[in-house]
Amino acid sequence: MANPLLDFWLRLLGQEAPDERRPSRLSRRQRRRIPRASEVQAEATIFLVLRRMRVPLIVLILIFAVSVFGLTLVPGQDPVTGATIRMTFFDAFYFMSYTASTIGFGELPVPFTPAQRLWVTVSIYLTVIGWAYAIGSLLALLQDRAFRQALALQHFTRKVKRLREPFLLIVGHGRTGELLSKAFDELGKRVVVIDIDPERIESLELGSYHADVPGLVADARDPAHLGVAGLANPGCHAVLAITNDDEANLTVTMTAALLRPDLQVIARTTSTSIAERMRAFGEPTVVDPFDRFGEHLGLGIRAPASYQLITWLESGPGAALPNRGHPPADGRWVVCGYGRFGRELVADLHREGIEVTVIEAARDGGDDAPEGVVGDGADPDVLERAGVADAAGFVAGVDNDASNLSMIAAVRRLNPDVFVAARQNRPSSSPLFAAMETDALLVPPELVAHEVYAQLSTPLLWRFVQEVPHRDDEWAAGVVDRLVELTGKRRLPPLWKVRLDRAEAPALQGWLRSGEGRTGAVLRDPDERDQRLAALVLMVLRDGECLLVPDDDLVLQVGDELLLAGSAAARRGLDATMLVGGAAEYVRTGRRVATGWLWRKFQR
Amino acid sequence: MNLEKVVFGFFVLLAATLNFGFFIGDIGDPDLHNPYELFAALVVSLIATVLKFGDRTQIGAVHLATSLVADLQLVAAAIAWTYAAHISTEGMSAAATASVVSLSGGALLANAVSVVLLVVETVTYHRR
Repeated sequence: MANPLLDFWLRLLGQEAPDERRPSRLSRRQRRRIPRASEVQAEATIFLVLRRMRVPLIVLILIFAVSVFGLTLVPGQDPVTGATIRMTFFDAFYFMSYTASTIGFGELPVPFTPAQRLWVTVSIYLTVIGWAYAIGSLLALLQDRAFRQALALQHFTRKVKRLREPFLLIVGHGRTGELLSKAFDELGKRVVVIDIDPERIESLELGSYHADVPGLVADARDPAHLGVAGLANPGCHAVLAITNDDEANLTVTMTAALLRPDLQVIARTTSTSIAERMRAFGEPTVVDPFDRFGEHLGLGIRAPASYQLITWLESGPGAALPNRGHPPADGRWVVCGYGRFGRELVADLHREGIEVTVIEAARDGGDDAPEGVVGDGADPDVLERAGVADAAGFVAGVDNDASNLSMIAAVRRLNPDVFVAARQNRPSSSPLFAAMETDALLVPPELVAHEVYAQLSTPLLWRFVQEVPHRDDEWAAGVVDRLVELTGKRRLPPLWKVRLDRAEAPALQGWLRSGEGRTGAVLRDPDERDQRLAALVLMVLRDGECLLVPDDDLVLQVGDELLLAGSAAARRGLDATMLVGGAAEYVRTGRRVATGWLWRKFQR
Repeated sequence: MNLEKVVFGFFVLLAATLNFGFFIGDIGDPDLHNPYELFAALVVSLIATVLKFGDRTQIGAVHLATSLVADLQLVAAAIAWTYAAHISTEGMSAAATASVVSLSGGALLANAVSVVLLVVETVTYHRR
């Protein structure tokens, strides 16, 4: 644009200003494709309200008109001269105004005759009815559900339209959605929520979020609702379909993939066939908590420290270090419950080469079921027949928390040393499972929340988490020890990402180009260079290849992306080194460089 | 026959005719302009305005606008009348009557536009 001032105003006021910072800017045609019908619906509701106010208003006008008109016709009497006078329209309107509104100044301008009083009595009752009717109708309309919904929708639409920063669209605000919106809010990311249950949206107002979280009560299966919730907004950078309804998640995935193919979509499902159908549309990331738990359990059996590291990193900053389990690698496992969860788990255990006995309530349609026992898992007889007494591990995996808990108690009595994994179905049962001290616990909403968090919070974290299983267990144990050592606490320090390019690290460019910028040297305190910053480089991403937890001798290059863990003070220190020339010079050479131009001239 | 249309047309037309009745006659002669007629014109015009609430069409919006203009003019005329009759020392002089009647003349123009719109709407209506 030729005129910078014009550009400024367009950016400030106009929607159509060219904006290079957002590569995913939509073409106008593309934006028009996304329907936003519910906005029109909301407008229609407000017109309907106006229409419904017609009758009360007309009744009020008519009552007023009749009263005023009658008052001008009825003859009055001058108390002094006794002459017949009639009230003018002005006097009559004045009198009716203060009488109808129950203010009642008395009989003005002169005391009334009995004839006038008769008419005024009639008008008083008429106007009271008129006002009561009009005000009653107005209040009833304000209480009207459709009207309130329309107002809420308009309010929500305005809020989403005004979002100028990148945001996540979370569909489904159950346990998972709540955990995620809290976690992303902590990170300073904006979130828009849509849910079909009004109570869950109301809970948004009670949850103490830093930023305003717009929430809409609507069925996300309607693309128009997603459009209103910001699917068409260029700031929307990911859609999370995490309702507890697989069908709805599939529909949201389809909608996002068809209308905004450039968006990242993360969907939750517990069904393999739905997952297949989701993958037919674009490239959504499908999170299946049952499948992931099986993989985690497999990893936990093979490499407990790797599993511990992954779960810790995925729990987000401030999370306590989870216990490292000691699952038995060899021995037979007993799995109770062969539903969707049981199937996934048994398949994963078989993959690890573990022998499995299955207990199921009834043998229905389980043609592919392995060797098993039929019966109620909480029945000690059934457990004994399944050979729990000499089993190495036991999985309580039915969809009923009471059954799972009683099963665990029965199994512990038969075999106190058995490794117990359990599935928790309801959030309210969590203190009971905690008291049971199970060795591994699946809480589907939390597992999904952690997976999604790892994928979206820092792009490098997901890469790191995927690389960890390829390393051996001792390496992972070392990383855990170093993270604990870093802060001295068993809490996860904040993770952040830096890119050593000209924009983010201008002060380091010369040092990096010299080929001497080693990790250990760069990570020194810019106030006291003998001290090392309390930060650990978890990963360096260079040209698509990642180096996990490099040692201090790694030579950093321009353009490297670093995933770091460390205290907030360490982050500030590193930021100073990256941005301030004087700090970088001091960290590199130990020479205090004056920051002012004049003093620098003197120093030379 | 649509009863709503009958009521609507009735009030729009009545507002215009009452307004015309008040307006006609020598502009400066208070005897030729009955205050009851002005009152009736104002009340009917207000009712016509309320009847036009909540119409989402383009022509409905213009209808509402013309009605609001007529209301404004008639309320101004009523206030001018009140001022002349009650507050001013001169009473209903020829000049005061002329200002009241000319204000109602403006309302008459707005009401005429309303009637034209009504006719246009009726003529362009196709029975399918």
